[in-house]
Amino acid sequence: MYGWMGKILRIDLTEHSYEIEDLDEDLAKEYMGGRGLATKILYDEIDPEIDAFDPDNKMIFATGPLTGTGAIGSSRFVVVTKSPLGNIGNGNAGGAFGPEIKFAGYDVIILEGKSPDPIYLWIEDDKIEFKPAEDLWGKTAHETEDQIKSQLAKESWKKRGVHVACIGPAGENLVKVAAIIVDKHNAAARGGIGAVMGSKNLKAIAIRGHKSIPIADPKAFKEVVSTLLDKVKDTPFTKNFFANGSSGILHIYNEVGMLATRNFQTGVFEKAEDIDAHLITEKHLVRNRACFSCPMACGGMTHVKDGPFAGRAERPDFETTWVFGADSGCNSIEAILKANNLCNDLGMDTISLGSTIAAAMEMFEKGYITEKDVGFSLKFGDAEAMVKLVEMTAYRKGFGDDVAEGGYHLTNKYGHPELFIGVKKLENPAYDPRACQGIGLNLATAARGACHNKGYTMISEILGDAVKIIPKTDPFATEGKAQLTKDLQDDSCIFDNAGICLFLLVNLWTKEILEQLEPATGAGYTMESMKLVGERTWNIERLFNQKAGLTGKDDTLPKRLLEEPMPEGPAKGRVCKLDEMLPEYYKLRGWDENGVPTEEKLNELGLD
Amino acid sequence: MKEIRIDFEKCTGCRHCETVCSLQHFEDKINPALSRIRIYVDMENDMHIPILAGPYTDAKCTSRYATVIGGKEYGKCILCRAACPERDIFFEPGTEVPLKCDLCGEPPDPACVKWCTSGALTFEEVDEEKEEETA
Repeated sequence: MYGWMGKILRIDLTEHSYEIEDLDEDLAKEYMGGRGLATKILYDEIDPEIDAFDPDNKMIFATGPLTGTGAIGSSRFVVVTKSPLGNIGNGNAGGAFGPEIKFAGYDVIILEGKSPDPIYLWIEDDKIEFKPAEDLWGKTAHETEDQIKSQLAKESWKKRGVHVACIGPAGENLVKVAAIIVDKHNAAARGGIGAVMGSKNLKAIAIRGHKSIPIADPKAFKEVVSTLLDKVKDTPFTKNFFANGSSGILHIYNEVGMLATRNFQTGVFEKAEDIDAHLITEKHLVRNRACFSCPMACGGMTHVKDGPFAGRAERPDFETTWVFGADSGCNSIEAILKANNLCNDLGMDTISLGSTIAAAMEMFEKGYITEKDVGFSLKFGDAEAMVKLVEMTAYRKGFGDDVAEGGYHLTNKYGHPELFIGVKKLENPAYDPRACQGIGLNLATAARGACHNKGYTMISEILGDAVKIIPKTDPFATEGKAQLTKDLQDDSCIFDNAGICLFLLVNLWTKEILEQLEPATGAGYTMESMKLVGERTWNIERLFNQKAGLTGKDDTLPKRLLEEPMPEGPAKGRVCKLDEMLPEYYKLRGWDENGVPTEEKLNELGLD
Repeated sequence: MKEIRIDFEKCTGCRHCETVCSLQHFEDKINPALSRIRIYVDMENDMHIPILAGPYTDAKCTSRYATVIGGKEYGKCILCRAACPERDIFFEPGTEVPLKCDLCGEPPDPACVKWCTSGALTFEEVDEEKEEETA
C-alpha cells in the first residue's frame, strides 16, 4: 500500500496489552481513512446503544492516506467514539500528532477497555509502553505535555519529535464539553470526547516515529504539491489567515447579519470592531504557528503583558473569538485570549463551553437563575465572570458543575430548554441560520450535532464571490440548498477522510485533493468514487446514530431559529425555513420521509 | 557562491521542508527522520528554528558554548548541525548512515527552499568578503 501505512494498533487498556493488525486494503479504499474509516470500525465493533463511559466503548484515532505526506494542510487525524451526548462523537485536530501516528507506522489506533489505574501510552514505532500516570492526574494539558517530555528524555534536544495528545482536568472530571488537547494548542474538541478518554483512565498518548510513508508516484506527487503551493501561498484568503488567523473572517459574518450574538438573540454584534482579529495581531501576536504542511499558518502565540487577563495564549480561531466575544456579549480581546488559553490548558471545547456560558448568561438576565445559583453576577459582557466560569467548569466547582453538563442539561435543569441553542445536544457554532438558510439545514442534519464543518455552505452562500470555488448562491433562498448542503457534506467527508484540514477550503477543493491523493496512493480514485466515499461516510454515521436511538425528529433546529424573527440587520424579520429544505434533502440523500436510509441507497453504497 | 539563508523569525514550523527533503533524497519516502533539515520547535519561546544537517563527526563534542539566537540561549547540543554519536538526529534510521545537506539539485536548487512559503528559507548569493567583515 502507498499513502497508507497498512497497520492498525489495537490497545487493550484493561489488560495493558496490544496487537498490531494489518489494515484491510479494500476497507481502506472504501472509506479512505480518517473519519469514515474510524466510524466504520466503531460501527462494526461496538453496540451504538452503550453509554459513552462504558468500558466497552472504544476510541478510534485515525489518520488519512494524505496525513503527514506534505500534501497541503495534511496535518489532520480524527478521534471517533460514542459521544456522552448519545450520538456519534468525533473531533479532529491539526498540529503534528496525526502525522506522527503515520511516522510510527500506523493508520489507526484503537483504544479498548478501561485501565485499572491512570496511565499514559508511550508509542515509539513498534515499542508500546503503558506508563503510570498517577502523578499526571490532575495536571493541566500543558503541564502534562511538559512533564511527559521531561520523563521521556532528560536533554531538551531529545524532546523534539515527541508529540502528545492528552486530556486536562476537564476530561478527568468527565466534563461533557471536555476536549483532547494536541501539541498544547490544538484540540479534537467537540462532542465531549475528552471525557471518554478520562473515563478510560487514559491521561495521554505520547508518540514518536521514524518510519516512512511510501508514495506511489513520488515525482508526480512532488510536482502537484509544488504547483498547488505556488497557487495557494499568495491568495487573499491565505494572506488573511496568515495575518489574522481564521478570526479574520469575523467582520464578514457580522456585516451580513449572521454573527450570533448574546446566545443567538440577534445576528449583529454592535461591538464587533472591538474584537476584530487585526487587534489581536497588532497588540498581542508573538509569532505565527502552522500545523504540519500548511502555508496558511493560522495559529500563533500571543502574549498579553498586563491586566487581569495577562499571560500567554494561542491565537484564537474564529469560533473561539466569536463564542467568548459576540455570543457572550463580551468585547475584551484579552478576555477571549485568556478563556481560550484556559480551555486549551484545562482541556475543553471552546464552542460548547462558551455557548453554554452564553445560555447561562441569558438565563441570568431573564431571572431564571440568580446570584444564589451562580455565586456571582453573570450578565452578558461580564468578561471576568465568564473567565471565572471557564475555570470552575473544568473542576466542576459550584455552578461550574451545572455548566459541565453542557447547554442541553443546564437549560433543562433550570426549566428553560428553549434557551439551549444546539442540535442533538451539541451547541451551535457561530452562524445564525436565519441569515443563511443552507447552513441551517446542515446544522440540523450533521450526525455529531450542530457542526459547521460538516458542510460549510457559507463557502457558497456568503463567500461565493470571494472564494470562487463553488458558485455563489443567495443566503436567504431555500431553493437548491438541499443539493448544496448534501454536496458540501459529502465533500467535507473527503477532507476529513484524506487527512486535510477543512480550512483549506478557502483555497482548494476535492479536485485538488484528488490531484494529490492519486500520486500518493495510486489507489485509482476518481471524482465519482471519492464522492461515493463521502456519501458512504455520511450514511454510516447516520446508521450509527439510528442504532443509538436517534431519529429524523432529531434533525431540527432550536425554536428560536425557526420561529423568532431576526430582530435587526440585513436578515431582519427572517427565520430559518428548515421545513422547505429538509424533505427535499431526505429525497436527495435516498432516505425515506422519516430520514431513514432506504435499502436501495444502502445497497448502492455497499452498506447493506 | 549560493547558500541557504535562514530567517528564523519567519519560520512557522510547518515542516514542509522536512517532508520534501526526504522525498528528494529517498525518492519514494516521506519521513522527517530522513530529512537533512529539521525544525527545532522551542515552545517556551514560540520559536521555530530550522537546522541544516552539517558534517558528520565520530567523536563526542567538546564544545562548551551555548548558542544565542534572538536573545534566547540554547544549550550546546540543541542547535548543533552535526551528525554526532551523542544524538539520534541526522542519521538514517536503521542503517545509521549520517545525513548531510548537499544543496540538492543540478545546479543547486534546494527542494526545502522551494517548499518554504513563509520566507524563512532562501537560497542566496553570499558575498564572502562582506560576510567576513560582519563576522
